[in-house]
Amino acid sequence: MGVKVEIVQIKSRLGKIRDNYELHASELRSSTADCVVFPELSLTGYVLRDLVYELVAEAQRYSEKLSEEGRCAIFGTLAEVRPGIIWNAAGVVVDGKLTYVPKFFLPTYGLFEERRYFQPGDPKRDLVTFRIRDVNFGVVICEDAWHPEPIEALARMGADLVFVPSASPVRRLSQPLDIQVSWQSLLRAHSLMNGVWTVFSNMVGAQEEEFFWGGSFFMSPRGKVTAEAPIMEESRLLGDITLDEVRLSRRFSSFRDHIREFHEVLRNL
Amino acid sequence: MDLQQKLSHLFNLNYDIVAEYLVKRLREYIAESGKKGGIVGVSGGIDSAVVATLLSRATHNYFFLLLPSSSTPARDVQDALELTEMLGGRDKREVVEIDGIVREVGSRVKSEDPLVLGNAKARIRMTLLYAFAQKLDYLVIGTGDKSEILLGYFTKYGDGGVDVLPIGDLYKTQVRLLGRHLGVPEKIVTKPSSPALWEGQTAEGELGLSYEVADAILYSRFEEMKGPEEVAKELGVDISLVRRVDELVMRSQHKRLPPEIFRLSGRAINSDWRYPRAWA
Repeated sequence: MGVKVEIVQIKSRLGKIRDNYELHASELRSSTADCVVFPELSLTGYVLRDLVYELVAEAQRYSEKLSEEGRCAIFGTLAEVRPGIIWNAAGVVVDGKLTYVPKFFLPTYGLFEERRYFQPGDPKRDLVTFRIRDVNFGVVICEDAWHPEPIEALARMGADLVFVPSASPVRRLSQPLDIQVSWQSLLRAHSLMNGVWTVFSNMVGAQEEEFFWGGSFFMSPRGKVTAEAPIMEESRLLGDITLDEVRLSRRFSSFRDHIREFHEVLRNL
Repeated sequence: MDLQQKLSHLFNLNYDIVAEYLVKRLREYIAESGKKGGIVGVSGGIDSAVVATLLSRATHNYFFLLLPSSSTPARDVQDALELTEMLGGRDKREVVEIDGIVREVGSRVKSEDPLVLGNAKARIRMTLLYAFAQKLDYLVIGTGDKSEILLGYFTKYGDGGVDVLPIGDLYKTQVRLLGRHLGVPEKIVTKPSSPALWEGQTAEGELGLSYEVADAILYSRFEEMKGPEEVAKELGVDISLVRRVDELVMRSQHKRLPPEIFRLSGRAINSDWRYPRAWA
């Protein structure tokens, strides 16, 4: 019981949507997995700056085209949901149907400037779960995993698995990378607290000044990294998502205890 | 952290990973630029020795240009020749003496001011590097390090006029350690830094502080974002040194940015017209 997932850790070419589409399509066609996941903004590249405005229509055209492959896929793209309102989105294809899932938390600090370009999703409308075979899953994008709520909400809505397509750049070069330790710690905590699988699919390679470090991984509901891609290079990584792991983790955790009053307090802060 | 602890923290890099990363990025940057290779001016100093080494590891298509003048110490020319030979670049280098061009510029400007002629030297070197680069269809690989770039210790459009700065995020003291790791000869690693734009010029003499102190201050002020008094106290240095570093950094901001464009239109370059470098 469960599904096989493949992470495709690629170096997207900045602004070269057609090239990136070809790469996505060929990876999709050759994968043996039930579902294939790519990094954040994998179809367009991440450090787009004002190219966002010019590329959004093309990104949506190629997202539609990717959905025609008929494979379960999660990739990063742009979506204009109303005139002038653009999402940093995950394109989620299930049973040939394309859904755009927006990023909620848009980093705008340090090297990030997402609020300049994007509008955040609305949790009441945009938190959604999908199903492949017997597994329910949700998607949050990169910075969303640096907050407790999005993954917790998806888990409580029934997700057994949460994909986290990301574009995480290196800051200080160390071994292991500080940012790699942070990501594994974060997703380990999310997985443990919520009894879910988390799948981190990171961009790799240089875009402008930034260098994305890869290091994608599968985190089990019991907090174990079950498969891990190398850092600094392109890679494909297969992993098994089993519902037994979800079941076992929830027998011995208090995930089932949900005290709504905490959220009421949070709501009024 | 006192000065020594701060420096130990700065030096504590995995130089294997740093070298591998820089070589890989250089290789990719050249490939994505559409150019065939890279050229670097080799002076006999540590920065250009490190960049030459990285470049020779990134591509077979490299070229080393030695551009000495009468103010270049003979030892530097010798060291640059030895280094480029050690890197296997005997057939991929050229020595161009620049005194004739400098004299010509000096006579037209009617000045013997060492600063005027010194900066002209750096710009003449830039002109020659770009001419060779264009002939070879290569990029000009810069040798500036983070200390020099922050302190503004470079000539605008001279050694600052390059296509890419592979070691621009490493302080001078870190570059020395990377050099040692890469096998740069010890005499280059430990040589006092100097642009050699006039005889007897040394970077530390001109700046009025050692690179160890400068780097610790720069790191504390601009990466740790601590205030001047706190930095002086923590490092155990006189506040006047911290203020001097601050002043050098602030005064040279114009060197690190593209020239200001006076705005007239609805969308002005750099202001609200921001595209990635890798656009085409």
